[in-house]
Amino acid sequence: MHRGKGMKFVGDSRVPAKQAKFIPPKDYSEYPGKTEAFLPNFLLKEWMVGAVFLVGFLILTISDPSPLEKEADPTSSGYIPLPDWYFLFLYQLLKYPYASGEYKVIGTVLIPAIAALALLLAPWLDRGFERRPIKRPIATLIMLLTFVAMVYLTWESTVSHNWEQAEQQGKIVQTVDFDKSDPGYKIFSQNCAKCHGDNLEGSSLAPALVGKGLDPATVKTMATKGGGQMPSGIFKGSDKDLDALAKFVSDVSKK
Amino acid sequence: MSKKEHDVSRRQFLNYTLMGVGGFMAAGIMSPLVRFAVDPLLKGKEGAKMVPVMDVKDITNEPQNKKFTVKKVDGWHKFDEQQIAYIFKKKNGDILALSPICTHLGCTVAWNDDPSHPNQFHCPCHGGRYTKTGINIPGTPPPAPLGVYKTQVKDGKLYLGEVISRGGS
Amino acid sequence: MLQRIYDWVDERLDITPLWRDVADHEVPEHVNPAYHFSAFVYCFGGLTFFTIVIQILSGMFLTMYYVPDINNAWDSVYYLQNQVAYGVIVRGMHHWGASVTIVMVFLHTLRVFFTGAYKKPRELNWIVGVLLFFVILGLGFTGYLLPWDMKALFATKVGLQIAASFPFIGDWIKLLLQGSDIVGAQTLARFFAIHVFFLPAALMGLLAAHFLMIRRQGISGPL
Repeated sequence: MHRGKGMKFVGDSRVPAKQAKFIPPKDYSEYPGKTEAFLPNFLLKEWMVGAVFLVGFLILTISDPSPLEKEADPTSSGYIPLPDWYFLFLYQLLKYPYASGEYKVIGTVLIPAIAALALLLAPWLDRGFERRPIKRPIATLIMLLTFVAMVYLTWESTVSHNWEQAEQQGKIVQTVDFDKSDPGYKIFSQNCAKCHGDNLEGSSLAPALVGKGLDPATVKTMATKGGGQMPSGIFKGSDKDLDALAKFVSDVSKK
Repeated sequence: MSKKEHDVSRRQFLNYTLMGVGGFMAAGIMSPLVRFAVDPLLKGKEGAKMVPVMDVKDITNEPQNKKFTVKKVDGWHKFDEQQIAYIFKKKNGDILALSPICTHLGCTVAWNDDPSHPNQFHCPCHGGRYTKTGINIPGTPPPAPLGVYKTQVKDGKLYLGEVISRGGS
Repeated sequence: MLQRIYDWVDERLDITPLWRDVADHEVPEHVNPAYHFSAFVYCFGGLTFFTIVIQILSGMFLTMYYVPDINNAWDSVYYLQNQVAYGVIVRGMHHWGASVTIVMVFLHTLRVFFTGAYKKPRELNWIVGVLLFFVILGLGFTGYLLPWDMKALFATKVGLQIAASFPFIGDWIKLLLQGSDIVGAQTLARFFAIHVFFLPAALMGLLAAHFLMIRRQGISGPL
């Protein structure tokens, strides 16, 4: 550093009087062996790793479009949310009885706070001079146990989650225009709309009918006898109403 | 010795490779991003849909002010835009639909509202004037004739499309 | 020409030592994967930085189309993903990049922990690193709400409920984050500001401190 020496003043700015010769930083004489300069030798190796990583990453982005569910609807009920995968362990933790209900604060604050503080203060909790994991068994063991616990909790939460329902409840639905004064729609809203939605868009209880291309005969059987998740005898009305309903649902489902 | 000087040194070789790999990574990251950003430039322009405006039999020789709405899509924003056309029959019987947007600075011109210059389009902002067929009158501010709507007659109705500029000087 | 411009600037600002210090410092053998394959574990820090660069760039470009408003947010995301060229890739870079960043931060933390590199004299850098980890988790949480889809809304509701369970000041924290008594327009605006301005600013400051300290202290020696 110049520390004011060898500077000549030009106006009120300081400019070095003589171009000081650059002295390269000290080498790692404390680590004898094959050290090498950061630029270009080592950086090239890092960038090769980076290039391979980038290719893999771009392939991932192209092959798996990022998910987008339907637009948020605060009035919707029965939606079961799932956080991003890296918060799943916390999500699962809150399901256990000792971390929920009146003990909720244990799961939401106490355990995460202890973990965060322990991580933050690790240098003072583990003060020995040993650096090899095997020579400081307590620190190593705690970290490994935490890691195993997080993996286990994450795994548990994915096993107990109903993925099919999750996919169904967030699906973007195509809305179609149809005539709401159709006599069939009145029958539909009395009998079916509770589960299949006012616009036949489906809900967490039943699938969408839009885009299914249903035959009138299929609609009739489903409405009276049920099938799949649908119980029998949902439809209550005359045969004439059933005909109108079947025609209406079939027409809209083909749009 | 002299041959060695012309060889690429190890350091130079490493530097070139470094630039190559760095360039590859930069291109890999930036090309999708840049293509994403310049998309408006490369998106083909969609021609406006023809909109029915009035019955052909109602068109006279006198320009009539007709308002009509056009459905516009601006990215994720869909809206109705109200447009105005002055529609009349030319002497040879052709239908002409003029856009009332002044070619000077974009004000809206009106037909025949200036007593001192009858039967002309007049712009209230800077006093620009156009003849009945929308040609700018020399000596007034507008640099070009009024734009004309693309017209189409179908089933006795006049349909209007996009505005075609008639250039300028 | 370039050389002359460089010389002109260097004469006035004396910039050579700045970059020569970075360029010429010697990298020890034990972190070099070319000599010991197992040294690839030392790459995780660099890869974390690389993913953060990708996140910042893709995020900047996403805001060219995204609007933080409950009426338009979802539509703008849908538009940029389905109508804009390469939208799938750009949003994918940001969405999957978030996950990859978390994975890389996690691996980097484990490497530093198991090589005992956080011990004296590097305690301060460990603290900065853990803070960076928390900032990145915060970015993940606030970014989750922005597309304003079902998952975003309901997962954020749960997240804010967790914040509310904090003893004594929980409700206050929740209201501060939520901006209103429901998760709605004001929450989205707030999360956008936190995600795009506050946390990235903290991230960059902490990153600068992290790198300065590494340069100052060098890489910890071999085990």
